[in-house]
Amino acid sequence: MPTWRVLIVEDDVPTRDFFADSVSRCEGLTLVAGVGTFEEARQLIADGAQAIDILLTDLALPDGNGLDLIRLAGRLRPACESLVISMFGDEDSVLSSVEAGALGYIQKDFTPDNIAHTILEMKAGASPISPMIARRVLAKYRARHLIDQMSVSPTVAGSDEVPAAETGRALLSTREQEVLELIARGFSYAEISKLKGVSVHTVQSHIKNLYTKLAVHSKSEAVYEATRLGLLQPPTSVTTR
Amino acid sequence: MSRRSPHLLLLCRSLLCGVAFCLLGLASHQARAQEGLLELRQARAVITVQGAAPVQEDVVLPYHWDRHHKGYPGDAVFELPFSLAVIEKEPYGVYFQRIGNTAEIWLNDSLLARFGDTGQPNTGDYAKAPQYISLPTRLLGTQNVLRIRIHADGGRRGGLSTLVIGPESQARALYVTAFNWRVAASMGVMIFSLLVGGIAMALWVTQSDPVQGNRREPVYLFAGLAEIFWALRVGDVAIEQPLLAWPAWGVVVTVAFAGWFCCIALFCHHVAGWHKHASMPWVRGGLAALFASSLVASTLSFSLREPAYLTAWLGLANVLFIIYAVVYLWGAIRRPGTEWLMVAIAGSLNVLMGVRDWVAIRISGSYVDNTWIRYSSVLFGLVLGYIVIRRFRAVSVQATDLMANLSSRIAQKEQELGQTYQKVEQLAREQERVSERTRILRDMHDGVGAHLSAAIRQLQSGKASSEDVLQTLRYTLDQLKLSIDAMHLLPGDISSLLANLRYRLEPRFAASDIELQWVVGSLEPVARMDDNAMRQLQFMVFEALSNVLQHSHATTLAIEAEMAGTGMVLRVVDNGRGFDAALPPRKGLLSMRERATAIGVTVLITSQPGRTVVEIRIP
Repeated sequence: MPTWRVLIVEDDVPTRDFFADSVSRCEGLTLVAGVGTFEEARQLIADGAQAIDILLTDLALPDGNGLDLIRLAGRLRPACESLVISMFGDEDSVLSSVEAGALGYIQKDFTPDNIAHTILEMKAGASPISPMIARRVLAKYRARHLIDQMSVSPTVAGSDEVPAAETGRALLSTREQEVLELIARGFSYAEISKLKGVSVHTVQSHIKNLYTKLAVHSKSEAVYEATRLGLLQPPTSVTTR
Repeated sequence: MSRRSPHLLLLCRSLLCGVAFCLLGLASHQARAQEGLLELRQARAVITVQGAAPVQEDVVLPYHWDRHHKGYPGDAVFELPFSLAVIEKEPYGVYFQRIGNTAEIWLNDSLLARFGDTGQPNTGDYAKAPQYISLPTRLLGTQNVLRIRIHADGGRRGGLSTLVIGPESQARALYVTAFNWRVAASMGVMIFSLLVGGIAMALWVTQSDPVQGNRREPVYLFAGLAEIFWALRVGDVAIEQPLLAWPAWGVVVTVAFAGWFCCIALFCHHVAGWHKHASMPWVRGGLAALFASSLVASTLSFSLREPAYLTAWLGLANVLFIIYAVVYLWGAIRRPGTEWLMVAIAGSLNVLMGVRDWVAIRISGSYVDNTWIRYSSVLFGLVLGYIVIRRFRAVSVQATDLMANLSSRIAQKEQELGQTYQKVEQLAREQERVSERTRILRDMHDGVGAHLSAAIRQLQSGKASSEDVLQTLRYTLDQLKLSIDAMHLLPGDISSLLANLRYRLEPRFAASDIELQWVVGSLEPVARMDDNAMRQLQFMVFEALSNVLQHSHATTLAIEAEMAGTGMVLRVVDNGRGFDAALPPRKGLLSMRERATAIGVTVLITSQPGRTVVEIRIP
């Protein structure tokens, strides 16, 4: 069984110790280090000699933002997966973390078992997603989809039935969209797998794909925005796709 | 003194002009000594005064009937022989300064002309204008006789002036000059008066002062009335056949004259601002009396055949107006004001003319003289025009100022309105903050605060296990997270509300080994659930779920939700030990009911061992 190497970044010492303890006690996990500042974490991430599989970071650090650490890790170590330590698991902070490239979040009141479990689950391909976030992603997707529909074919306005992939710019596959809708309505992964006649693992992978897409998408959105604002010049007129 | 001097100067200049005008007039009258013209001043006459025998006598022309017969009517035949040394080819003509009131003119026993019907007394009057007739050359010899028959109505300035006979070019020229002065100029004055009177009356009717209760301007009224009276008085010269018989017509003309000067006096009074003086009722009464007395004086004078009455009355009016003019002038000089001063000058000149006319016509008894006041009266019209223009100019300046003032005030008001709006907006924001703060405090009190104090009590009592305290604290955090989530809930989205509750409490159900059954259909948004109602509903469902987790010892828990018409039914069903729903409810249930009432939903709790149902109905 592989052992995942975990870096913990958290400025609150008791919480850090608690998380470090939870990780250390888990068989499948090894603690790389528990640090309290952005700078220390940055140096560790940048240190090529150091192997890191999982970055577990708080968002509000005394000398920087956890989101920047996630982005940095995403750039320097594509294999490294990031999790955010969140107090409440609230919509805004989770969504911004996901868009920065995090694959999930851990709440501070989780039990030690919960924490290790969530980390391992994520590595196994399952990311948690709350109904509120699912709803928000759906709403965002629908708005974007509608705009695409209007710009591609104004005569077929409002037809949500059109397979999302046909638009070419779709964020979500039809199946992913269905899964998201069920999550938003409160169904558990198990219930969804039963309803859709697929394995729980398939449901989980849909979610993880979604996370990755959100992150990638947020990057392309940033590029799109930058282009629109004239900060980047596209080499040809169709490259923004 | 320095302020007064320009006015004095203006006054002196105006009076000098008036005097010059008079002298010129006199000069033109006496410059009539031309070659080739024959003036006849003597006549043999047969005079027949009404009710007496004819009398034959030699008379000197001009023959002023009223002077000789004191207002009695009668007829006269004048014989005027004249001889011509050479008879020119050119036609001859005869020019009369006055003849009438009606007359027939015969030359060498041939009837040349008739002015009216001498047989019909009290009808036409041809003596007001100069007359001219041609003398055909074929009727003329070296010795000729002009026989002129006149009829004179009493007191109507009948009679015969001297005759001027001569070649047409010369005689007619004299006639034309006299006609122009006496008739054409009078017509001009009449037209001017009618014009000014009409305009003044139109101004009076249309211009009212909204500041002073729509009061009309009396200056216009009196000026207008005066000009209309004057048009009648002056226009009379061209009316050979009046509408009324003599002497009624004479009364009308006299009354028109009185109307003119009474109205002019009121006009002057108003221009000077004296109408505000306490004496105004007396002045008005006095002028009304003067006006009325014109009727009395003229009627008496004509009916009693006593011209002295009319002369006396005119004299009285002259005296009154001399006094008035002096007082008025004095006032105008003392208190400089262009309008007042101009009116004073016009008035004084008119009074001078009036006195001159009275002396010349009523006292000295000149038969051929003409009144001068008809010319000087034009000054009033001109002054009125000046006043009107000045006032309109003042009003337009005022209006411009007012507009500027108004627009600046509107700008100011707009600014104030903007500030008020900002204040209101600020207050509304403040209000919003206060109510939001109140809501948060209440949520903290009922949720986190209540749970934290419960945890403290648990620790203090020493009886509670650490597991119990841990559970209480977990609920506290759950409550807190739900409050945060509630901020993102869309109004009416109960589907998300329930899904979120399940997501948050899932670890608790797992820890309590309670199997969760999720029986939630596809739910439509409920329009009547606003932000506050959503928070209250979230709290109520959380409370129901907490009760199951903490007290029921249940093994299964069903969360059910379905649409019921436009509303919705939510149920939390467990298979725990139940409780007696008839007992006074615990604090949590009590709070649930309060909230239900507050947002207008109903809560129904039924419990028996093995099945407890909390049903929330949203209508």
